[in-house]
Amino acid sequence: MTTMTVSGHTYDLDPQRVEKALNGALPEPIHEHFVVINGRRWPPKQVLALVTGLDRADFTTHQARRALTRLGFTAARAADRRNRQPRESVAAQLEPADARTAAPPQSPAEELRPFIGQWVAVRGDEVLVAGDSPKDIVSWLARHQQKAQSVFRVPESEQLIGGAAPQ
Amino acid sequence: MRFPFRALPAASGGILTPRPVVDIALEGLEAAPMGCLLDSGALRTRMSAELAPLAGIELTATLTERFYLGGLETVGSLTRVNLTVTDGAEEFTWDAPVWFCDPWPHPFGLAGLEGFLHHFIVTIRAYDEYLDIEPHPQAHTT
Repeated sequence: MTTMTVSGHTYDLDPQRVEKALNGALPEPIHEHFVVINGRRWPPKQVLALVTGLDRADFTTHQARRALTRLGFTAARAADRRNRQPRESVAAQLEPADARTAAPPQSPAEELRPFIGQWVAVRGDEVLVAGDSPKDIVSWLARHQQKAQSVFRVPESEQLIGGAAPQ
Repeated sequence: MRFPFRALPAASGGILTPRPVVDIALEGLEAAPMGCLLDSGALRTRMSAELAPLAGIELTATLTERFYLGGLETVGSLTRVNLTVTDGAEEFTWDAPVWFCDPWPHPFGLAGLEGFLHHFIVTIRAYDEYLDIEPHPQAHTT
């Protein structure tokens, strides 16, 4: 348990409480900074607002990042979309303290592994959002004015992608 | 227009053999093109019935058929819709018969002869793990 003060309020937080607060929520689009929780990328301010109940205007992105990295979550900065580099570059942009524990770059298939059984919207190698139904995905894309390259469910088994042939 | 084969994780670890998948947008769902497994052995083009209301497509009073797919009985409802594929540079749109199926437990739609393959010249380079499509000159594709 870590005690921290955010916007004048004191909270006792641990990673499990953060993960629980994100249950049922979908990550919003990543503009610059993100933290990795349960294999997904989240805007730091969205996470801290969900965990504390505070308004996002009550704290800065930097404060949210610092609070979450203190709890052991990896934080990083997304590549500029206008000049996006291959995903390998994201690891290089991790802060030094985070980079010590950063995993090596993953293949597109491995990027999908945390979402087995879920619907995803992807653009390039990036998973924009994951949810339980196509309705979740379509609603999220509309709400955040995002365009996916592909929407599908990450199969739970190879049998599910065997085509129409009798099995 | 080129589509790299889709690499997917295996639940038991490792990676499944990459599959030929084309991303097809239903009219009304342009921001969410649906991944469809290219299936040269399938007559129909099929998608989940969950998608129809999201695209504003009514399935009442349409032709239906009951069939088995992968051992599961399902009901398909036929309607004609505009479909679009794009790679960001080029965009093809065509009018196609699509069967919206309920239940549809499959992770992808199926792009079959009617609705997809009849409209394109498709070159599958499985060894190189990609496929190319171009509109057939005699098909009504814009």
